[in-house]
Amino acid sequence: MASAANANINAARETMDVLLEISRLLNTGLDMESLSICVRLCEQGINPEALSSVIKELRKASESLKTSENCTS
Amino acid sequence: MALDQKSPNVLLQSLCCKVTGKSEAEVAHQFQYAVRVIGSNYAPTIEKDEILVTDKIKKELLRQRRVEDAAVFSELHKKLQGQGVLKHRWSVLYLLLSLTEDPRKPPSSRVGPYSSLFAQPLPRDAHSTPFYCTRPQSLSLSYEDRLQSGLGSGPGPGLGSSLGTRGISSLGVYSVNGPTPTPQSLLAGQPQSASLASRLAWALPVNSAPSAAMAPPTARPVPSPKLSRSRRDTDATGEVSEASLVRDILYVFQGIDGRFIRMNAQDDCYKIDSKVVLSKSLRDLSSRLSELGWLHNKVRKYTDSRSLDRAFGLVGQSFCAALHQELKEYYRLLSVLHSQLQVEEEQITTLSSDSSLTLRRLLVWMYEPRFRLRTLAALVDFCQGRKGGELASAVHAYGKTGDPQMRALIQHVLSLVSHPILHCLNRWIYDGELDDTYHEFFVASDPNVKTDRLWHDKYSLRKSMIPSFISMDQARKVLLIGKSINFLHQVCQDRTPPGKITAVSKTAEDPKAAAELLCDLEGAFQEKIDAAYLHTSKYLLDVLNRNYLLLEHLQAMRRYLLLGQGDFIRHLMDLLKPELARPATTLYQHNLTGILETAVRATNAQFDHAEILKRLDVRLLEVCPGDTGWDVFSLDYHVDGPIATVFTRECMGHYLRVFHFLWRAKRMEYTLTDIWKGQMCNAKLLKTMPELSRVLHQCHILASEMVHFIHQMQYYITFEVLECSWDELWTKVQRAQDLDHIIVAHETFLDSVICRCLLDNNSRSLLHQLRSIFDQIIEFQSVQDSLYRSALEELSLRLQEEERRRKREEEGEWGVTAEQEAEEKRRIQDFEKTVPKMSSQLLLLTHFYQSLVQQFLVLLMTSPDESLRFLSFRLDFNEHYRAREPRLRASLGTSRGRRLSNI
Repeated sequence: MASAANANINAARETMDVLLEISRLLNTGLDMESLSICVRLCEQGINPEALSSVIKELRKASESLKTSENCTS
Repeated sequence: MALDQKSPNVLLQSLCCKVTGKSEAEVAHQFQYAVRVIGSNYAPTIEKDEILVTDKIKKELLRQRRVEDAAVFSELHKKLQGQGVLKHRWSVLYLLLSLTEDPRKPPSSRVGPYSSLFAQPLPRDAHSTPFYCTRPQSLSLSYEDRLQSGLGSGPGPGLGSSLGTRGISSLGVYSVNGPTPTPQSLLAGQPQSASLASRLAWALPVNSAPSAAMAPPTARPVPSPKLSRSRRDTDATGEVSEASLVRDILYVFQGIDGRFIRMNAQDDCYKIDSKVVLSKSLRDLSSRLSELGWLHNKVRKYTDSRSLDRAFGLVGQSFCAALHQELKEYYRLLSVLHSQLQVEEEQITTLSSDSSLTLRRLLVWMYEPRFRLRTLAALVDFCQGRKGGELASAVHAYGKTGDPQMRALIQHVLSLVSHPILHCLNRWIYDGELDDTYHEFFVASDPNVKTDRLWHDKYSLRKSMIPSFISMDQARKVLLIGKSINFLHQVCQDRTPPGKITAVSKTAEDPKAAAELLCDLEGAFQEKIDAAYLHTSKYLLDVLNRNYLLLEHLQAMRRYLLLGQGDFIRHLMDLLKPELARPATTLYQHNLTGILETAVRATNAQFDHAEILKRLDVRLLEVCPGDTGWDVFSLDYHVDGPIATVFTRECMGHYLRVFHFLWRAKRMEYTLTDIWKGQMCNAKLLKTMPELSRVLHQCHILASEMVHFIHQMQYYITFEVLECSWDELWTKVQRAQDLDHIIVAHETFLDSVICRCLLDNNSRSLLHQLRSIFDQIIEFQSVQDSLYRSALEELSLRLQEEERRRKREEEGEWGVTAEQEAEEKRRIQDFEKTVPKMSSQLLLLTHFYQSLVQQFLVLLMTSPDESLRFLSFRLDFNEHYRAREPRLRASLGTSRGRRLSNI
């Protein structure tokens, strides 16, 4: 049982590694944590299109906030 | 890092925190927005095809020119597939794909609208709690599950279990201030049907709900860049995409070798590189399209090579210019296509698939340019090696086609090509100037010819250069017009500007007018040429007649050289008779000229124009030994200047020959007149000598025969030959429209005169006969002269004797002594002895003469000329010769209308 769980965990880890690698290749800008969240969300059935658009806008929003902060500060 | 079962909301919130790097409280707006987006955009708009996604990823990588990375990705993907941990591989991959950023491209700054959106606080009332209550419910399930449950169809994969684990079913109500992470698992414990219904209720409007709450560009462009990307990129396996083919084709259109399609010089065609992997249809299409490149090359090669050729001429250059124009249009089209391609490549996202370039689109758009290029290439082939008028003919020949497009194109090219020719033509017919350095025009000028032969030899037609749209008749007229103008300028020294001669319209100087002329070749062009022709020729004839008295000279020729002025000729002959009887070597020209002057002054010739009399002169021909003056004397008429064009050297030679003949005939007439005079005078005197009566009778008969003969000959020459021909000539000259007509008429006149006067080659035998007859007449004259002399001498001696006798009787002596009487008797006997000799001589002469005449008559009968045959009738009107000559009998009978069958 533990070995199965371990195996599972290992597999999961490997998968995550692979996915991270892919993400790095594709230059998505996602770090490990974000990636894992995303993966979990996708596994739960969220529409990836919507999710990606959300992420994009979040990024843009943060950019704009940063620039405005830079200007004001 | 286990995939623990956190709810989606929680995850979403933590994602927001992560991405923005802020705390939970600060990302409230973003979180709400995110929830809304995800709630409203539940269904993925594209198909869940993992392979497609992986393909797209690979293509994207390749597009970024990262071939090794693509290989790596393939490996990773295989591994992923092997592991089987992920259940929604597609989703993850799609997510990663959509988040891909090209490291080369700067991040697009579309900050504006979104920041404003996020900056706005979400209104509280819009998000009432019940709304939120129900919303998370709809968020609770993935699309797959909903569909399956909605349809009530068979079990989806892990339907039952997924209900609990997957959905965000436990999402609860969130207040505005912050998410409460306590999801209310409404679904948990509830029967499926209730949630089913609500799920259905939500399912329907969600799909149709417009993403208006969201900023527009995020949803829609998501599918299309994927599609266009797939078209543009080359596959990692090496298969060429259509877009790169399109790029290649655009290069090939210009004749430049593309990446895949290159010019194969041996086969003279464009071939696709065999190493390239290409689908058959694309291969076909590109082959079809590269035909354009081949055609373009052909045309371009021709224009380039011809532009280097310096001797090509104006017509050829305008042909090349026309081709260039067409090529320019073609290049313009190509540049439009290029720019289209450029735009497409730069804007990945905005273009829809309707306006992009595909090979098929190119095929359709290039249909008309291909047709045009094909026509031009065929034209180029046909016109290889031609120049000038030939080239224009070739282009014109191509215009005879039923296809209106082709015809229009060829007409356009033809108008440009024929413009230099028409320009040249205009200059030629209005100014008489031939400006043809490349020998393209159909009128050729021989620079070696001097002005005296200008009319005849200097200008000729270059038949090969006559364009096929100008007929031979028009070309001849054109030649004549220019020739007349040049003649006026150079020979007649007439410098009136051409504007006065013809009403010149200088409108035909641009290609458009040339095109119009071409369209109306039968009408306007012909009229133009005809008008110019009429005016110029009329002017020329006026000048010739007014200033140079052409017609007067013509008449003078008739009067003097053709013995028209009877009284003058007679008088001249009278005066010249003693001179010409001398041997030829003793004659001096100035003596004879003096006599001529006397004759002129004494007769009507003195009233002639001074110009004419100035030119009248005596010429002494070459002296052969034994010639008398009669053989070497000739009149002459000097011609120079413009009249020499009509009276050329050959014409003058003919005139002199005819003069010689006529002069001789006249001399015969003159001689016979003398003979007759002598006969009349001496007839009475010699009545007293009966022994001479027979001889004299013979003389008289012969003389009258001769007179008759000569009479008829003279009649024939004067009336049948000279007058008739002269009449014809005169009417033609009066009616003549240009100088060529006059020259031709004049030459015909001379030819007919020569032919009828037996001076041409065919009638040599006749002439010979005639000459012998004339010789006989002269012989007879001398014989008769000697006869008369001796007779008269005898007579005078007898008269003297008589006188002496009478005187002696008067003196009372014997009239005659015996010796005197004996002497007298002896003398008379001697005399009488000479009589038979004379008689026989005369008989011989008669026979000889008559045989000559008979032969002459036979020859006349068989001559091809009709008037000569009629002459023979006249000569033998009472069939006197026919009775003697069996040959004559037969031949005369034949020609006198008796039917051949009767003979």
